[in-house]
Amino acid sequence: MPARDGIAAQCSVLDIRDYTLDYETPHGVPVQALRNVSLSIRPGRTMGLVGESGSGKTSLAWAIMRYLPANAAERSGRIELLGEDLRTKSDEEVQNLRGRRISMVFQDPGTSLNPVLRLGEQIAEALTRHRGFSAKEAREESEAWLARTGISRPADMMNRYPHEASGGEKQRVVIATAFACNPEVIIFDEPTTALDIITARQILDLFDDLHDETGVTALYISHDLGLVSRVAQDIAMIDRGEIVEQGACEEVFGRPRHEYTRGLLAAVPHPDRRIVDAAPAAAGNLLDLKGVNVSYGERKSILGFLEPKREVVRGARDVSFGVKPGEILGIVGESGSGKSTLAKVLAGLQEFEGTVEFDSRTYSRRRDIDREYRRTVQIVFQHPDASLNPRQTIGKILSRPLKLYNQLSRSEIARRIRELLRSVLLPEEYSARFPHELSGGEKQRVAIARAFAAEPQLVICDEITSSLDVSVQAAVARLLVELQQQTGTACLFITHDLNLVRQLAHRIAVMQNGDLVDLFETSQARAEERHSYTRQLLDAVPVLLDSGRQGRDS
Amino acid sequence: MSPAYLLRRLLAVILVLWIVTIAVFAITMVLPGNAAIMILGEYATPDQVAALEERLGLNRPAAVQYFEWLFNLLQGDLGMSLRLSLPVSEVVGSAFANSAMLAATALVTVTVVAVPLGIFAALKRGTKTDLGISFLAYTGTAMPEFVTATLLLVIFAAPGNPLLPAGGFIPPGESIAGFFHHVILPAGALSFILTAHIARQVRSEMSDVLSSDYIRAARLKGMRERRVVRGHALPNSLAPAVAVISLDIGYLLGGIIVVEEIFAWPGLGRLLILALENRDLPVIQVITLLLAMVYALTNLISDLVIAALDPRVRYE
Repeated sequence: MPARDGIAAQCSVLDIRDYTLDYETPHGVPVQALRNVSLSIRPGRTMGLVGESGSGKTSLAWAIMRYLPANAAERSGRIELLGEDLRTKSDEEVQNLRGRRISMVFQDPGTSLNPVLRLGEQIAEALTRHRGFSAKEAREESEAWLARTGISRPADMMNRYPHEASGGEKQRVVIATAFACNPEVIIFDEPTTALDIITARQILDLFDDLHDETGVTALYISHDLGLVSRVAQDIAMIDRGEIVEQGACEEVFGRPRHEYTRGLLAAVPHPDRRIVDAAPAAAGNLLDLKGVNVSYGERKSILGFLEPKREVVRGARDVSFGVKPGEILGIVGESGSGKSTLAKVLAGLQEFEGTVEFDSRTYSRRRDIDREYRRTVQIVFQHPDASLNPRQTIGKILSRPLKLYNQLSRSEIARRIRELLRSVLLPEEYSARFPHELSGGEKQRVAIARAFAAEPQLVICDEITSSLDVSVQAAVARLLVELQQQTGTACLFITHDLNLVRQLAHRIAVMQNGDLVDLFETSQARAEERHSYTRQLLDAVPVLLDSGRQGRDS
Repeated sequence: MSPAYLLRRLLAVILVLWIVTIAVFAITMVLPGNAAIMILGEYATPDQVAALEERLGLNRPAAVQYFEWLFNLLQGDLGMSLRLSLPVSEVVGSAFANSAMLAATALVTVTVVAVPLGIFAALKRGTKTDLGISFLAYTGTAMPEFVTATLLLVIFAAPGNPLLPAGGFIPPGESIAGFFHHVILPAGALSFILTAHIARQVRSEMSDVLSSDYIRAARLKGMRERRVVRGHALPNSLAPAVAVISLDIGYLLGGIIVVEEIFAWPGLGRLLILALENRDLPVIQVITLLLAMVYALTNLISDLVIAALDPRVRYE
């Protein structure tokens, strides 16, 4: 790549100077998106841009790509690609530049590929557009790039539509497209967030390989510090539109100077930093699942002959395990592994075969599940936005389980609501507010308080931290553990975050395609006798070491 | 799409039509006055009525009459019109052809005008052009056919110096120009509200597509605007447009009855009104069945078109 060879190594490929960006709003007060941002990436390096949601990291990506909404107001600064200010480019010049000199890999390959165009066409069109290839040349080059991204039968993949490829394959196509025109800079916007653990790891490996091969300069946007420490040599921390710290990875993560960096680093879940005490000794189990089976897609209606034959999917296959009183049992697995199916069975929301024994009562089908069971087993869902009624105040939301399960007087209910809010560290005044007036973390606290309101014996937490930012996630996890230990409630903690689950679970169950493949004491996570799939999962997850280097835990 | 799928869908259409035959027959049974009274007129004596009922088999159990009727229907024997003393197949056949011509003209007009209009509005989203189109579309959806028809008559067919004929029909076999001269007003009245509705749907569909991640991805690949719109956005918004158009066919079938009556177009709608006024049961039954069949089949066809436009839709 001639353009790149001519540059001295100390010079920057992408250089952003004092860049300030606002978004105009209808009521006249602009929202500040980026404040005096300065950032430069040297040739062949990967810069990790780390920040939480709303920090402005994506706005910066759009600014570089010159893809700003109509209400964006650029107040000052330069965005230079090899010394050329992109802000001065015309629309036509920008169109010629995108995909050829700067390209982008997006978060979700499921939505960033056009569903009605063949995958091959979506790569080839970039090549015909920017490199002047004929249709035939473009096809050949596309196929070659697909092969380089590790797609085993590239010619076959060329002819497929997005829905005929897996998430990992689709992201490889997106990556192939981004690299196809040999751009000088590629922006990666959380390219593994939407993927499963093991697939994400493979995409990271691919990124490493292609980066070594092509020497492309990369801006890697992520909220995951462990992951960034693995891919990036340089780090920029962004908080509320400002770069608060910038430098080499070991420097920033090993000796953080800014308190924001320190806070985030402390919040990153690390398997060695346990946040629970040992499980209370107990003779029997509180909950016992025996041979639980769930299948989806079985035909039921009398007009079934008018429906196509559907494949019957096993959500859970012969699953048996027990939960002791006061224990936190983690359930991990990739999407579709059956972990949420189990949550639904235990919450009485899903038909099942087999038996569920709870507190010496036996339930063998969904309809057996009675009010007493529902009181003692509570669930917290993934998205508090969807699980809290937007038209009820927080007080009303918290009063529902109290009225339903306990015979309390009006004043007692008011007192309990105040107590519950205090127990999840929210001010009592929140009782009069509506869910939309609360932040994501606060809403999840309300959902937790609601689950504990009925004084349950078991709380099911279904991915309760996955929609939250790292720092909020840590606080919610700590809060949950505190409540759980105070009340002695058992907890089923369903998650795909292996580092987090190793911080707080007493035992961990691993699910794969509806099977329970492994169940072990958390301290035994790295033991020899672990199932091969468990080992694969653990190896796939980057762990951030205290030195700031990425590494494997032991 | 598999042959098994097509077979299942056709089975479903037959099932629907069978249910419609039961409904149609049941309704004609509960209507006051039977065929015998219709034929003999209101001054017939009870004896005469009883004799004719006996001859026509009207005093047999309803189920027997139903199955006989269904059996004849399946053999292509649609019966005789009570009013016109002609075979129903003959009466309905020519009216059906006339209605089909009117409906097809309206449908083609609607599609050709509404789809590009909706796309154009979506591309100009938020501008004055978009606002103008949306305003027209809102006004249009608020105007039923009889209002539009009256307005069109007042404007284009006012007594004195009419630009277009206020009613009537010339078969295209006789004079193509004459046919179009007569079809403009009824087809216009039919098209107006549907154009407005479909343009709105297409606009909202197209603007969803234009703000999708894959359109952003195409733009960030450096694709030219023309390629983004025609190659990436358009194919994604056509399938939903077809779905909306096929739903609107039901509305079109209702509108055609009103419009034919207003413009004296000798089609199914007019025939149906005539048959209802005269309690011409065999004609009412056949027309109702025919409308149900047209609706069921156009829905099937639109599903097939959608499958052809969208590779994600795979019928098995």
